[in-house]
Amino acid sequence: MVLYNAPTNKMLVDEIVDAHVLVIGSGGAGVRAAVEASRYGGVVLVSKTIAGKGGCTTMAEGGYNAVLREEDSVRVHRDDTLKGGAYLNDPALVDALVREAPERMADLVRWGAVFDVTEDRQVAQRPFGGQRFPRTCYAGDRTGHEMIMTLLDRLDATDTHLYQEVSVVDFVKDENGAVAGAVALDRDGDVVLFRSDATVLATGGGTQAYDISTNSAAGTGDGFAMAYRAGAELIDMEMVQFHPTGAVYPYDARGRLVTEAVRGEGGILLNARRERFMERYDPERMELSTRDVVARAIATEVLEGRGTSRGGVYLDVTHLPAERIEARLPVMLEQFLAFGVDIRREPMEVAPTAHHIMGGVRITPECRTTIPGLFACGEVTGGVHGANRLGGNALADTQVFGKRAGEFAGKAPARSGRVDPAGVDEVTRMLDGFFEGAISPADVRKDLKLTMWNQAGIFRSAPDLRTALGHVRRLADKRLCAASTANLLECCTIRNMCTTASLIVRCALLRPENRGAHVRLDAEVVTDPATSPFSHTYVSLAREGIERREVAA
Amino acid sequence: MKEITIRVSRYDPAADAEPHFEEYTVRVNEGARVLHALHAVRDEHDSTLAYRYCCGSGQCGSCAVRVDGKPVLACMEEARDGMTVEPLDLPVLKDLMVDLEPVIAKIARICPAPDAALPAREEIEAIKPLRDCIECLCCVSACPALQVTDFAGPTVLRQEMRLALDPRDSGDRITDAIEKGLFYCTTCKRCTEVCPKDIDVPGKAIEKLRELANRRGLTLPRHQEVARLVQETGRSVERTQPTFLEQVPEVIEPDGPVRGEVGFFVGCMFNGRVPQTALDAMEVMKRNGIRVIVPHDQVCCGSPLIRTGQTSFVDDLKRKNIEAFARRGIKTVMTICAGCGATLKNDYETPFEVKDVTEILTEYGIEPPSKLDVRATYHDPCHLLRGQGISEQPRELLRLGVKEFVEMPSQCCGAGGGVRSGVPEEAKALGAKRDECVKATGADVVVTVCPFCEFHIADCTDVPVKNLTTILLEGYRKKDAERQGSA
Repeated sequence: MVLYNAPTNKMLVDEIVDAHVLVIGSGGAGVRAAVEASRYGGVVLVSKTIAGKGGCTTMAEGGYNAVLREEDSVRVHRDDTLKGGAYLNDPALVDALVREAPERMADLVRWGAVFDVTEDRQVAQRPFGGQRFPRTCYAGDRTGHEMIMTLLDRLDATDTHLYQEVSVVDFVKDENGAVAGAVALDRDGDVVLFRSDATVLATGGGTQAYDISTNSAAGTGDGFAMAYRAGAELIDMEMVQFHPTGAVYPYDARGRLVTEAVRGEGGILLNARRERFMERYDPERMELSTRDVVARAIATEVLEGRGTSRGGVYLDVTHLPAERIEARLPVMLEQFLAFGVDIRREPMEVAPTAHHIMGGVRITPECRTTIPGLFACGEVTGGVHGANRLGGNALADTQVFGKRAGEFAGKAPARSGRVDPAGVDEVTRMLDGFFEGAISPADVRKDLKLTMWNQAGIFRSAPDLRTALGHVRRLADKRLCAASTANLLECCTIRNMCTTASLIVRCALLRPENRGAHVRLDAEVVTDPATSPFSHTYVSLAREGIERREVAA
Repeated sequence: MKEITIRVSRYDPAADAEPHFEEYTVRVNEGARVLHALHAVRDEHDSTLAYRYCCGSGQCGSCAVRVDGKPVLACMEEARDGMTVEPLDLPVLKDLMVDLEPVIAKIARICPAPDAALPAREEIEAIKPLRDCIECLCCVSACPALQVTDFAGPTVLRQEMRLALDPRDSGDRITDAIEKGLFYCTTCKRCTEVCPKDIDVPGKAIEKLRELANRRGLTLPRHQEVARLVQETGRSVERTQPTFLEQVPEVIEPDGPVRGEVGFFVGCMFNGRVPQTALDAMEVMKRNGIRVIVPHDQVCCGSPLIRTGQTSFVDDLKRKNIEAFARRGIKTVMTICAGCGATLKNDYETPFEVKDVTEILTEYGIEPPSKLDVRATYHDPCHLLRGQGISEQPRELLRLGVKEFVEMPSQCCGAGGGVRSGVPEEAKALGAKRDECVKATGADVVVTVCPFCEFHIADCTDVPVKNLTTILLEGYRKKDAERQGSA
């Protein structure tokens, strides 16, 4: 691995870098893609943060779903995933996920990952919501961190060139209309042009568009927005997973993820009247129902006045032995202690928080997007998780599709066309425009996040969504102001957040039914997930709509 | 919402010769973290403020800064009115952003063998405590050894041990660890104190790596000499004068009525090198009604061996010591040496309670001495402050003993972890830094409660260095003289 810092040579752009494969994003999917693509040589990985510190893989706590035991089967994992996804998933992508998740887990173990193991030397697994077999592999409650550290070790053994704290602004195309690289900003705001034969988009999710979110500061939907602007088609962007359990206090840390592993280990949910309310919503699966169901149950309890004074419910593990909490949930214990709550002795207070975007760039099982030259993997893609993602399937997704994207991008032929300079000029002109702007990015960010939370959140309706769309469009039209070159990135980020938000709202308006995470209080039609006539919503520069499907009666 | 005023270090290498502080008053929510205060500065005062952050939940290690001098994660530390926010003690890129990459590049990567298989459960469990590191580099910012040597840093050594424990790894971690400065660590535990994940790098990595080095014959020659001495004599200090144990009976009765009883674990330094200080301490115990039982069959606690990884016969020493006190039915064992105390408390499983002399004296309460007419400062022994969590008791006693007490910043003096004997130039350089701090206080005397610190600091400064019990004894003598004068 080779590290690059600030560029030195000045041109139309400040630096030009050529690559066979350009990977954008340093989370689980991006690093896995780079590792795989490096088998074909000439890989450049561009990371908005210091690699390993950005993205949501690092923060993923609970686990990685893989079929590893005789008693389990990929068929059951497939059925659980489809059922959990309200049958909106792309079956070919689900097949790849469940079939290859065990092999990708084996890669991680071979590369040195420190997963928990059983007495008889198998990777340990625990139960997670919506699954009929405890198939969630874990490393305490820092599973994603373990994975990313392992992946970076592996990346270091390749000749991938790593650019850290460099943020991609937009793709550039060649004269044939294929993606031929990207324009990026480095830490100081200098412009870098990356030219590539194939580009892998692995920028992760974007629930920072919501006021209350589990995402890291990097989860601003950059990839959705860049792909959309480049003409790619996105699907199911209305499918935003609200994780049932986010912290509610302190105010500035609201939304911080409280891992599903807490419920997997036996944590129970109680309302302010100390009633175990899940009995009324899913008596069979209780706390380990799917995330959409639990999130709506909590939101309903709070809306109907049975929440705590801070607007949450209780999540309680005080009945578990302290040693078990210390061993299995150390990050939770430490975080809550920092905020003055000892979860061994008192319950946590939790409420839903925007967590994961199931929708995203439409891909084939080879991770090809709808535009040539561009591959995508991980949370920025749509179709794998349908209308609701099962806990533990996202980390598996990063590895299965990261590997696939890296492989097919690596095998891509050399680019024949020249990079269109007009596209590069357009980006630099757009950037220059920020020096003439007048509106503070911070104000727009705040306004956008509240709009999305209040009008495009867990419970939706057409009038609310239309209000939101109008407001988001007004915000997107504001002329943002960069105080220095280093502030250009903040303007680009806000622009991407506005685009992502508008894609979510547009798709939410396109789906007239309640399906998985998408709830329309004004649903026009009542459908059953398995037999719904609706399939993906889709949106691109060229078209938008909702697909219909034939369902056997 | 509440209003707070904070001072933030600003530095733009393109415009400023050196960093300076700016003061900002911002409005933040109840419970806001340092990070949220920085956001407020950026959004309300100056959008060019440069600082890193990402996960906001203590998991990525992007946002480490120094708050009032102590490295913390900005996203987890509560914001306080009047706080000072500075970058970590690493090369600054701009404002609060430092260059993390050169240190991260030193953290070793696993080299898995081609036939690497899943480790066993015990192996995984052994690695886990070393695996939580989020590479925030708080430890690197705080480590004193890094100020005077090319030590690669606590977390770099942590990773060497993590890899040494992994059966899949094919690298030579001991050679690497030695190259990266394995013997530079003074085991002061400052890294553990600032680690957001509480990783015990000295105990779980440094000392264990030194053990592995020992098995390969790579222990420093000076350390080997100490081990030989302990094996031959039961003591880590050579006999050059009558020892403490040779000068006292098994039971030292107090002057007045008996208020309490403790066993006394002497330690090699007090027994062999500075016995007078231990004798002074006995006078203070007598004066305060505490009976002291001194088993003469006690031996070295093993600390110099454990700290340097020479543990092959430490269990023998432990057994002898535990028997010596348990056989006499002693319930509470007192130490005056911070190193012995920390070892008995942390490395032993004892059937009796172990307490530092400052704990004993503050718990019983002491007869107030006459205050010495001096300005004194106090040096926190690492193995007392962090090894035993004791900081208030010695200060409380010292305030009784002197006219004026002034604080100085706490930092390792360089004597611990075998560094004074093994890497004397490092110990000297750290000692010189202590001298600077001492001089800055204008104190007439430096007071401490560890014979290693006392001996070493005395070598590095011309200000007198004294044990706290000696100060108390001098106060009693002054009191007696004043009484006689007035009688």
